[in-house]
Amino acid sequence: MARPYLEAHGLYKRFGALEAVKNVHLTLHPGEILAFLGKNGAGKSTTVKMLSGLLLPDRGEVHLLGKNPFREPLALKHLGAVLEGNRNTYWRLTPLENLVYFGVARGLRLAAARKRAWELLEEYALLGKAHTEVRHLSRGMQQKLALLQALIHDPEVLLLDEPTLGLDVETALLMRDKIRTLAQAGKAILLTTHQMEVAEALADRVAIIHQGEVVVEETKEGLLARFAGEHYVLELEEKPPLEVIKQLRALGVEGEGPFFFRGNAQALWQVLEAVKPLPLKKVAKGETDLLEIFLKVVGHA
Amino acid sequence: MLDLFLAEFGRNLLSLRRYPLELLGAVVTLSVIFYLLFLGARFLAGPGAEFGGRLEAVLVGYLLWTFALFAYTSLSFGLMEEAQTGTLEQVFLSPYGPIPLFLVRNLSGLLTQGLLVFLIAMVLTTLTGARLSFHPGVALPFLAVLLGGYGLGFAMGSLALLYKRIGQLLGLSQFLLLFLLQAPGTGPFLLLPMAPGASLARGMLAQGAPLDVWGLLVAFLNAFLYLGLGLFLFGRAVHRAKKQGLLHGY
Ligand SMILES: Nc1ncnc2c1ncn2[C@@H]1O[C@H](COP(=O)(O)OP(=O)(O)OP(=O)(O)O)[C@@H](O)[C@H]1O
Ligand SMILES: [Mg+2]
Repeated sequence: MARPYLEAHGLYKRFGALEAVKNVHLTLHPGEILAFLGKNGAGKSTTVKMLSGLLLPDRGEVHLLGKNPFREPLALKHLGAVLEGNRNTYWRLTPLENLVYFGVARGLRLAAARKRAWELLEEYALLGKAHTEVRHLSRGMQQKLALLQALIHDPEVLLLDEPTLGLDVETALLMRDKIRTLAQAGKAILLTTHQMEVAEALADRVAIIHQGEVVVEETKEGLLARFAGEHYVLELEEKPPLEVIKQLRALGVEGEGPFFFRGNAQALWQVLEAVKPLPLKKVAKGETDLLEIFLKVVGHA
Repeated sequence: MLDLFLAEFGRNLLSLRRYPLELLGAVVTLSVIFYLLFLGARFLAGPGAEFGGRLEAVLVGYLLWTFALFAYTSLSFGLMEEAQTGTLEQVFLSPYGPIPLFLVRNLSGLLTQGLLVFLIAMVLTTLTGARLSFHPGVALPFLAVLLGGYGLGFAMGSLALLYKRIGQLLGLSQFLLLFLLQAPGTGPFLLLPMAPGASLARGMLAQGAPLDVWGLLVAFLNAFLYLGLGLFLFGRAVHRAKKQGLLHGY
């Protein structure tokens, strides 16, 4: 795999008595979306701020394309961030003015910033609002602009702290598409969100942080498969006789049809023996989704 | 850097336009003061004794005061506002780093302020037909005073970054600033921030003294010393703010 764009090793952060982040390791590779999930107060934003050079870790290191953003601010050219909250731009400036300003503040030449600003406004359907002060924009538009502000200097790494918060269905879908497209174009993206369906739709990898510690970190496919492996769904064409149901219960089968069975593939054959020769409608590995996994992980951890 | 300067300058001009009442207030205040001074010049034949010196001395003294005050407070007010509105973190994501960025900001703010004063002075001299004549060399000690003022401004900015609400302190310490600008430019007073430059400028204006090269050297030495000190403190404050997570709003 290509060299990661962003690496964090053993990050720790303590605020007074609170250990907000403990020993967090993260990597972001080109073209990859990492969904960074966790409950309120789990330490997501704290981690994001350490990754972006805004918060100095007590221990551990951050490498942004091989450079330490705390020692070399120039490394920040490679980073764009939508930070928590909705105020990533100047309210008394228009989207165009914001984008030009931030483009230059991120190291672009004035002319280049202006050109790129117009392109982004067009691409994200904000042209009509190019000259409206940000405070008069709708919340969704402001949120879109926050993303554009992070994109203006075309950075390799994007840290998006709840970028789809408070968006309507259509805009949220647009944002999803755009984020996916950005990853396909080779950007390394970290996305925090409380909307599991967003994470599920976008993530290549998932990291779950709980009370400051990363408790799960693996590919989305791997994670879904691992947790799906835990139960099977069985459906019959007709309701089985009481006798069979008793047998099923003895094997640990739950439900009234569809039936649920927790166990491995071998144990499943015993269940199938028990229902033989009743006509089967469906036998399948139970589907699971990120929400279920998330609840299990942070519930137990 | 030039582009950054232009972008900051543009932002300044836009904010003048977006906050028209503030602009109006500044224009009216400045105009009234200029106008009174010019009226005085016309009716008090010759150098106005009431002003305790030449007319220009009062005018430049006033300008020195407003510019120094601006240098002293603008960074802090900017930081407090941006911490509150939440844009400060985005500003700190600039690859230029905070100190170069805020230096450029200060410079563009100074230019904006200077432009405003210049325009008003132009309009009023045309309208009243008054003439201003002072040694253009007075701009040099003026500059030294401002550099020192920015040094103090960075020191106050450090406090603003760490403690956020320092509006009261800024207001009170304006008296200190007044004292510094009035302090004599001799002996131990030469060590005070801004004092040597201010006394040099006063001397040139009030007594028509020629530009004193040695005095100027001392003034600039003093200015760079305090600017350096301010920047040093600010750098430390940035480090501490990043350590304690103080860059976000309240
Ligand atoms: N500057 C700070 N000073 C003191 N405590 C802080 C600071 N920043 C964060 N914390 C604490 O650290 C913990 C983690 O906060 P963080 O903002 O990282 O959570 P989060 O995962 O982003 O939560 P959310 O989903 O609510 O955004 C919280 O208990 C928070 O109160
Ligand atoms: Mg958060």
